[in-house]
Amino acid sequence: MRRLLLSENSEFGKKFRYAQIFIIACFLILAGRLVQLQVVYGSEYRALSNHNFLQKRRIDAPRGLIYDKQGTVLAKNIVAFNVYITPLFFKERSFQFLIRLLDLPQSDIDFIKHRIMMADGRKRTYSLLAIRDIPKEWAMILESNKNYLRGLDIVPQEKRFYPQGALASHLMGFVSEVNREDLDNFKEYKYLALDWRGKTGLEWKYEKQMRGERGYVWRILDARGRRVHDPKSRRWMPKPWRKDPVPGLNLHLTIDAHIQRAVEQAMSVYNSGAAVVMEVKTGKILAYTSKPSFDPNELSGKLSTTRAHEIYANPLKPMLDKVSQGTYFPGSTYKVIPAIAAVEEQLIQHEEYHLCKGWYEYGRNSSFRCTHSHGLMNIHSAVVSSCNVFFFMLSERVGMDRMARYARLFGFGTPTGFNLNHEKGGFIPTKQWYAQKFMEGFRIGHTLNSAIGQGNVKATVLQTAMVYGAIANRGKLVQPQIIEKMTDYQGNLVRGFSPIIKREMGFKPETYDFIINALSGVVNEPTGTAYKSRINGLSVAGKTGTAQVRKINRDVLNKEEAKWSHLDHAWFAGFAPVHDSEIVVVVLIEHVGVFASKAAVPVTMNIIRKYYEIMGNRKR
Amino acid sequence: MLEPQGRFRLRIDWTLLLLLVAITGLGLLNLYSASYNVKNPMFTQQIYWIFIGFSVFLITATIDYRVYNKVAYFIYALGILTLILVLVTGLIKHGSRRWLIIGTMRLQPSELFKIAIILALGHFVDASPPKTEQGRTLQELIIPSLLAGFPFLLIMIQPDLGTGMLILLIFFSIMFLLRLRIRSLLTLLSSIIVLTPLIWTFVLQEYQKNRILVFLDPASDPSGHGWHYRQSIFAIGSGQWSGKGFLSGTQSKFHFLPAQWSDFPFSVWAEEWGLIGSLLLMGLYIWLILLSISLAKSARDRFASVICLGVGAMFFWHVVINIGMVMGLLPIVGVTLPLFSHGGSSMLTFMIGAGLLMSVSSRRYAFE
Repeated sequence: MRRLLLSENSEFGKKFRYAQIFIIACFLILAGRLVQLQVVYGSEYRALSNHNFLQKRRIDAPRGLIYDKQGTVLAKNIVAFNVYITPLFFKERSFQFLIRLLDLPQSDIDFIKHRIMMADGRKRTYSLLAIRDIPKEWAMILESNKNYLRGLDIVPQEKRFYPQGALASHLMGFVSEVNREDLDNFKEYKYLALDWRGKTGLEWKYEKQMRGERGYVWRILDARGRRVHDPKSRRWMPKPWRKDPVPGLNLHLTIDAHIQRAVEQAMSVYNSGAAVVMEVKTGKILAYTSKPSFDPNELSGKLSTTRAHEIYANPLKPMLDKVSQGTYFPGSTYKVIPAIAAVEEQLIQHEEYHLCKGWYEYGRNSSFRCTHSHGLMNIHSAVVSSCNVFFFMLSERVGMDRMARYARLFGFGTPTGFNLNHEKGGFIPTKQWYAQKFMEGFRIGHTLNSAIGQGNVKATVLQTAMVYGAIANRGKLVQPQIIEKMTDYQGNLVRGFSPIIKREMGFKPETYDFIINALSGVVNEPTGTAYKSRINGLSVAGKTGTAQVRKINRDVLNKEEAKWSHLDHAWFAGFAPVHDSEIVVVVLIEHVGVFASKAAVPVTMNIIRKYYEIMGNRKR
Repeated sequence: MLEPQGRFRLRIDWTLLLLLVAITGLGLLNLYSASYNVKNPMFTQQIYWIFIGFSVFLITATIDYRVYNKVAYFIYALGILTLILVLVTGLIKHGSRRWLIIGTMRLQPSELFKIAIILALGHFVDASPPKTEQGRTLQELIIPSLLAGFPFLLIMIQPDLGTGMLILLIFFSIMFLLRLRIRSLLTLLSSIIVLTPLIWTFVLQEYQKNRILVFLDPASDPSGHGWHYRQSIFAIGSGQWSGKGFLSGTQSKFHFLPAQWSDFPFSVWAEEWGLIGSLLLMGLYIWLILLSISLAKSARDRFASVICLGVGAMFFWHVVINIGMVMGLLPIVGVTLPLFSHGGSSMLTFMIGAGLLMSVSSRRYAFE
């Protein structure tokens, strides 16, 4: 046995070796490529292949709810159907089908086109919001045609809903979708596109607490964009594959929806103004209204530009919170400050009488007028019938700076700490301020004007409520409070709020007796400025006020507006009952042009009567 | 009667047999994973095909290869007739007429024709040795060129770019290894250069041209043809060193790979078994191909050498083109991975090819 000679194979000669070399060379190239793909760039390709099928979908946390004192829901979340598209799978055919299926406005079609065009690279695999808040019938149509709409998802998402409509709208505020500026300006909130953000009111003040904590879930999508439901496929998901969202905290307000509605009802006669009802002893706000109001549902939803312009251009400023953001001359309601200062410091005797001839003589200027000639006045009757002349005299005795000190003691001039809607502090001028501000410096005339709440004195409705509350409370200054408690989504108490006593005035008891008695006289004595509007059997004390409106911006306003825009504001600040008071009510009505007694007082009386009615019914 | 000349001592080439078992085994394992969540009896089908394949292999190996030498042109003629039959009555799928229905099976005669061309070229080389010492002249290459050119045209009419190209590649591989005159060699080389643009303009369909264009610039079509490339490369690359594990390849499980059982099984394999598994598989192929070269070298006659070279070339080009294509080195053409891809025609072709190798290998030694 021996090997055969390979005589015939001489034809191929050395070429076998060439073939072997060629084969090995080719395989080396393949192996090199393999190493390049799997080792050199392996981790990148691993990431890319994971990105192929893994999609992290956020789960937005439900926003905390807002309740009134009685548990009535003031703000909640309802389901809205939003349409999402994944550009990689949402091809022209699906798009055309969608357009044929629904009667979409051109703006929505353009927006979808824009989103598809802007999505490139990795973004093509993202699920992008295409149409927000479609009607339920549309959602059902889309759902039943899902097989022809590849790359389109209908996602039920929450949106804010205010079941009470415009009730306490300035207090509630509204929410809107975050925009590019919000993302930049509020980095610490870690907003993502499509998030809701409280814009004003409590929605913004308690944004952090009400937002909750976002969760997420990983999803597996196959190459055709279909979701893989097989639970076994979880092994490919990162761990943890799901994080549940934590719902935001619920706010329980001190507001009483019944009283709030009664207040808004009482105010409904007038177009523009503000009213607040506060518990004297605790500072809890029971009602808080500013007119004109707005519908937070409208502002939180799809607001058209023309409608937005209409709202913001309204000269009655519906977006302004006139309770804590608007500042006004307090007018005669301010007279309690010089009165208390003079009595407390014994600068005047109760028996001291002065004659009111209808005007006050001071230097060459005789423009310091009274409403009419009051005749002989003492400090009590001057408050009751709101005699300016008496207060001009008194203010010279008290002096500008002492008046300012008492005003500040009561909380005028600084924000109350309520801190809602950029709360304003108003302004209390001093001699020094006039010296710096005016070329001619401080003059006694400034003091006279300040005493009747004009000149440069500015206050908010909320401040006035706090001050009258402190009077009714015999010197205990309580900070207005709106939140009763915060609870988590299971109803557990997270934080309670107890009344904050800002200050104990510590005046003599006689001072409180005098001022409460005088304010009671305003309503209950026949010469009182609120006497005509009193309601028999209703124990109320308070002070009227008329705030002159500076005739500014007249050129901006058209003639129609100019007619009312320079009309005076009417005030009434009162509390009930006169002794051991429960509530303080402040009403401001803008541009009524009649004396306060004819506008603000009846509204206040109405509110107080309604309050007792509601409380009485509840006891029964 | 076809009577072998002389007596041979039959020896089973265990290396070759074990390589075949290993590759088909790994291929079956891979198909199990690739078709894991697909409602298609591909896996059981493939078991049948492997069974039939090994039977055909044994039959082919048992018959003395010199018998094939004698019937080579007959088989070739039969092949050509079948190709014409396909063009007339074949089944159209994906826009090309490639399939013949035999009972319940679908066969792709163009695949099997590769064996016929190898046998025909072997017979030609064996029957007409070079006339001079310097090697074969151009005239001596006319007949083999016609032998390869005619079926090539028939296959391109179907059209089946992959198989047509492989016929040419097998033809050129064998021709280059013959003793040729320098002039013939140069003419052969230049004919490839001339053929390329001709094939581009007259033979290639628009979609085939697109694939090649996309290959040259994958970014030009990231969601269409380029998509297949990217997904295949993601699959292979994401396998990293040791792979994602059996049944854990996400690219295949979530259908990011196109035709993952027939044309892209290597991507599935590389994703699940990583560099280690991929090199192992490639090693098995190199071994098999080099084995066929050494068989050609040690074969007793020119016919045996040519069929070993031809079968080796067939394996080689299939492997290189398929793996090169799934790794993004070559344009995507329908070329299967030998014994690894799902599909009966491919399995039969390579099993017959391997049977020819075994037939030659078993008859290298003889008593005097």
